[in-house]
Order: sequence, then C-alpha cells, then structure tokens
Amino acid sequence: MSNNAIECNNLTHYYGKKLVYENLNIHVKEGSILGLLGKNGAGKTTTINILNGFLQPRSGECLIYGENTQHLTPKNKSRIGFLIEGHVQYAFMNIHQIEKFYSGFYEKWDNEPYWELMSKLKVTPTQKISTMSCGQRSQVALGLILAQDPDLLILDDFSMGLDPGYRRLFIDYLREYAKSKNKTIFTTSHIIQDMERLIDDVLIMDYNRVLTQRNVHEFMREFKQIALEVENHSIDLSDEDFVANFEKVNNKVEIYTYESASFVKNFLEKNGIVHHNFREVEMGLEDAFIGLTGKY
Amino acid sequence: MVYKEWIKTRWFVILYAVLGLSFIAYPFLNVQRDFKFSDANNYWYTIMFMGVSYFGSLKFVPVLGALAISVAQYFPETVSKRIKLTFHLPINENRVLLMMMLYGSICLVTCYIIQLAVFLGLSCIYFPSDIVMPAMTSVTPWFLAGFAAYYLAALIVLEPVWKYRMAYLLVTGTFVPLFFQSASTGAYEPVNLALAFLVIIISISLLFSGYRFRKGEM
Repeated sequence: MSNNAIECNNLTHYYGKKLVYENLNIHVKEGSILGLLGKNGAGKTTTINILNGFLQPRSGECLIYGENTQHLTPKNKSRIGFLIEGHVQYAFMNIHQIEKFYSGFYEKWDNEPYWELMSKLKVTPTQKISTMSCGQRSQVALGLILAQDPDLLILDDFSMGLDPGYRRLFIDYLREYAKSKNKTIFTTSHIIQDMERLIDDVLIMDYNRVLTQRNVHEFMREFKQIALEVENHSIDLSDEDFVANFEKVNNKVEIYTYESASFVKNFLEKNGIVHHNFREVEMGLEDAFIGLTGKY
Repeated sequence: MVYKEWIKTRWFVILYAVLGLSFIAYPFLNVQRDFKFSDANNYWYTIMFMGVSYFGSLKFVPVLGALAISVAQYFPETVSKRIKLTFHLPINENRVLLMMMLYGSICLVTCYIIQLAVFLGLSCIYFPSDIVMPAMTSVTPWFLAGFAAYYLAALIVLEPVWKYRMAYLLVTGTFVPLFFQSASTGAYEPVNLALAFLVIIISISLLFSGYRFRKGEM
C-alpha cells in the first residue's frame, strides 16, 4: 500500500480556456514536509483548492490518504489541518470562543500547544480576532491547527503578512512539531527563505508544468549557477540540453544547470566560446528558484 | 456548530426579538386609543364589514427580521471565503449547511412564535374570535415570507458568482411579493398551506450555493 499522504494523478485544470496545468502528478510521502513553489499564477492556490475539495479539476484526481479530495469523509477531514491564505479564521470570535468551538469537533484535541502560543500574544481574553494584528492572527491559526493534532497540514502561503519575527516563530514551531510527531506538511509560501528552514522536499511549478520535485538538499546540491563573462554578446545557450535556464545582461552570463562546472567549462571550450571570470556561484533556495524559473 | 452561529447572530436575534415585540404591540396602542374614542362595537363593525385592518403595520416585520438574521449569519462566512473553514470541519458539507439553516430557522420560529403569541393574546383582549382568527390567517403569509426571505437571502449571500446573485435576487423579488398581495382579511386562507409547502422546498436552496462554491465557481 502506498505511504503517500497526498497523491495527485494526471491533474489538469483550466480557468475558462486558460490552461493552468496539464497532467500534473504530485506525491507527498507521509512524514515529509513539501514546499510548493511557483511564480504568481503558476497554480499554487489552484492546487491547494483542489486538495481541499474547493475546486473540481477538469480531469485527474487528488487523493488524500487514499480518498478523492472531492469527497473527503469527515473522518479523513479531521486528519487534515488547513491554514487558509492570510491566516483566515472566524474573526468574530475571541481566542477562548474559537478554542471552545473547534474543540468540540476533534477527538484528539489538545489545547496545550494552543494556550502556549496564546500566552506569547499580548491580547486580552475577550479581544476579537478581527482586532488582532496579522502576526497575532497567524499564531491563533497555528495554535488551532496544533491543537487539532492533524496528521497532514496544508498551509496556503503561511508567511503572508508576517514580520520576520513571527515568520521565524511560526516555522520553528511548525518544524519542531512536524518532526517530533511525524506529521506531513504540504505548504506554499511567497517567502522562499522561510521554506529553506522548513521543508524536506521541494516542488517547483512553472506555468503549465512541474519543473522539479525532489529532496530540497539534493536539489540544492545538484542545481548550480555558473557565472561568466563572454566576449560575444550575441551568444545564447538557452536551447542546450544541459541548460535549465540562461540569463544574460550585456556580456555577463548566468547558466543554471544540473551538470557540473567542469562539464560546462568543457562545453564552452569545445564549442570555442571565449569567456573569462568563470565561476560557480553559491545559491540559496530563492536564488535556485529564480534560477530555475527565470526572473520574469 | 450552534455555538458559532449563536456568536454571529446573537445580538441580531436578541435585538429583533425585542424590537419585533415592540412592533407587534405598537398597533394595539392605536386599537386602545380607538376603543377609547369610539364604541367597541362600531370599531369591530369597521373591521368585520368595512375591511379596516388593525395590524397592517406588522406586514414587513417578519421579513425585515429574517433578512437581518440571514445576513448576520451568512455574510461573515463569505468574508475572506471563511466558508472554507466551515466546509473543512469534520462534518459532511451539506449537513453543515443544513445545520446552519436549521439554526436560523429555529431562531425565526422562536421569535415568530413569541410575536404571534403576543399578537394573538393582545388581539383576544380587544376582539372576538370572529376577528382574531381571520387576522391570524392574514398575518400567516407575512411570517411565511420571513422564512422565504431568510432562505433566499442565504442562497444569495453564499452564492460565489455575482451574476448568479443578481439572478437569484430577481427570483426573490418575484417570489416574495406573492406573500404580500393586497387582500381582504383572511383571504389567504386557501393558499397558506401551499405557500408553506413552497417555503419548505426553498429551505434547502442554500445547498446549491454551497455546492457551486465547492466546485470552484468564482
């Protein structure tokens, strides 16, 4: 039996006639943390919506713990913690009311992590969530998910609107929680530095397709940026098989590739491409993401 | 589930319960005044044979209350698409919506029963049953209109597409006036049951908006 918490097979979706993606396949192993990265409009929120059963794909299917996400049973839904983009919660409640409300729905409800997080917030017991800052709301949303103790957490752009301190708090709590309890996380975020601290696997989407899905450390080890300066300004290597992305400003060239620096060097020399200042540039995940998807 | 609905709507329900009673009691101030200045028999005569109504000011009280409760209950669910949280609760999505609808219906039933009881009680103080019973028949469609307005407002508020909202508004604008046709006292008696049946049918219409939301209509 598959040990995938999430499995999307041949997912195809259009908005009207605009193709979002075609035959997309995603799998997330139980106990892993997968970060879905993509430019605006690449289909991140579409994927999250399909996963949560709020959007019916044109074709294909997504399974969570073996159940089609269009028809999740209540039992399966109770295994999934869901963070909506912007940390949306029932803002007309205060922190006591919302904890009381949710606690009635989940068998495994454990309010300890919730109150631990709430104790860090400078809010009054009767203060409505709608009057809290975005950072405070994020802690309420996170606390509720932790109290639910789900097996799978689906987080849609958890870093939206958070200052660096709250982002760090959120990530550190989340990673510690997930790893200590063998939880699965599927997350998106616009702030890719955050992902670097959090995720095990990365899935990078471009318009209409998946560029890569693999272990993030493997990806960072194998994906390289080679910078050099060329004499011939008209040179263009973007069609070469080994080139994942090619960026050029005047004579300054960046080659993004899964091949080694020596392979690239040999290629340039074999093809008589005069160059100098050839070097491999160390990248963070954000650099690698931009390197793979392009700057625009 | 009830807890969340109560938090959203409690002030509206309480306010409507209090204001509704005031509106119900208000026409009886006029009745009392008319009783003082003219003979009761003459007053009854004008009601029974000249078509004078002593309760006309109640006409829109049930509908206005129902609209307020419906908007208070369903609008917060649409802000930032919070309905996603509700659908994500470990309950069947249709069941969640039906529970919300049932909660609103119970609030309305409670308010309406109190209002009708007060109306009946005060009417019985001033009028014989020959006047009171047709009066009860006449106010019944107004209260049924309250339920219809509540269910249709839920359908409209939860609908994710503005174009459809407009279409539902048009249907509502055509359907709800059926309950307010000008008619002599007691004239609605033959159709009250049919109207009640229609109201029961539309009570589940919000399931359609919920279904459209879950299919990703936007």
